[in-house]
Amino acid sequence: MTDPQPPQPPAKPVEITDNGARADAAAGDWYGRGLPYLSIDDYPGKLIAIEGTDGVGRSTQILMLREWLEIQGYGVVETGWARSELMQPTIELAKSSNTLNKLTFTLLYATDFADRLEKEIIPALKAGFVVLADRYIFTALARAGVRGIDKQWTRDLYGFAIAPHLVFYLRVDVDTLVRRVLEGGGMDYWESGMDLKAGDSIYENFRTYQRSLLKEYQSMADEFSFRVIDAKKSITAIQTELRRQIGEFLAENETPAPGRMDLEAEPR
Amino acid sequence: MKAATKQGKKKNTLTPMTFSLLHATDFADRLLYRIIPPLQAGMIVLADRYSYTAFARDVARGVDRQWVRDLYSFAVRPDLAVYFKVPIDVSLDRLMARRVTLKFYEAGMDMGLSTNLNESFRLFQSRVLEEYDHLVDEFSLGVVDARGSITDQQRVFRRMVTECLESSRDRSAAAAAAS
Repeated sequence: MTDPQPPQPPAKPVEITDNGARADAAAGDWYGRGLPYLSIDDYPGKLIAIEGTDGVGRSTQILMLREWLEIQGYGVVETGWARSELMQPTIELAKSSNTLNKLTFTLLYATDFADRLEKEIIPALKAGFVVLADRYIFTALARAGVRGIDKQWTRDLYGFAIAPHLVFYLRVDVDTLVRRVLEGGGMDYWESGMDLKAGDSIYENFRTYQRSLLKEYQSMADEFSFRVIDAKKSITAIQTELRRQIGEFLAENETPAPGRMDLEAEPR
Repeated sequence: MKAATKQGKKKNTLTPMTFSLLHATDFADRLLYRIIPPLQAGMIVLADRYSYTAFARDVARGVDRQWVRDLYSFAVRPDLAVYFKVPIDVSLDRLMARRVTLKFYEAGMDMGLSTNLNESFRLFQSRVLEEYDHLVDEFSLGVVDARGSITDQQRVFRRMVTECLESSRDRSAAAAAAS
């Protein structure tokens, strides 16, 4: 099960069935089969995902977005990858002891995501919050894809996820990415894809792994309509672009306060 | 893996979905380490519960039927799967006779069907048994009437296993002769 991975063949076009996460799901609706026991009709909140590899400045951008949105009177909730109360200790433990294989790795992340979806994301959306997701299911799809897990299977698995209203993908090239991660405290075992056992050079493995990750993200950009942002730009330039697009989206989807509607409906 | 499941069960914080996914993760671990290697070594693996348990239990909790089947598509299809079938009353009587305290999730207490543990068990497990009845046809499960004595059940069970092993031996012999 853990044979060395041969170089990945060019990604086969994924045949998408109706069961799994798929591009044509309406924003804000289930991607696939959803959670039959939970209704998510007409919730007032908005779900915005910020995707991208390590070293693209996701957390800085989210921090700034949060401030900006709160000043305008929006309630904001953040949710981050592998941060569920239920699973975080287990994931940390499993990572540190290197006992995970790619299948259990994928399933652990899905469990973590399900916990956060039901306990944080959906309640916040129902309460009218703007939910900023620091990474979303695409991180899981990319990591599983690089590890050779069947693409249709992972998409079916995440069919219970909600399609975000907006997905931003902060894109960098592999050279920039490698330098930023090295500056920022170095690589760890998993981020280097060492579990793929391609060789002993951590640097080479890291580069190869990150390059395949970037390829996976790129192939999803069209499939899931990512809004791609060049992460080589300055922090301020990226933030300006995010604010412009989010501002436009929120303005278009602003639901007028019911009181005002009534007033306008009154004959003058 | 066990730690998270235990933790979640202890605090009763699992949702139908995280319950399902945690068990699938545990199953994947057992499949890759405890089931596939002995099969590759040509051994017989006896599995006390398999993916069918999840198909019945998770769907009874409200998880999507097709989703959970897709989830377990990484599992090896057993050469023989046998369902020991009892009516709900028999199952409850047997548990009571052993004076076991029903467990929270086993009794489906997370479903809010009843605040009474025994009543909740009866309602929830009835749904589980209904799902099993569908599974028998869908996956051609062998059925053993588990109301009978253990000796009777064992006789029926042994006959099923013997037939399965003989037909698999015949198939390998035929394959060897053909090559």
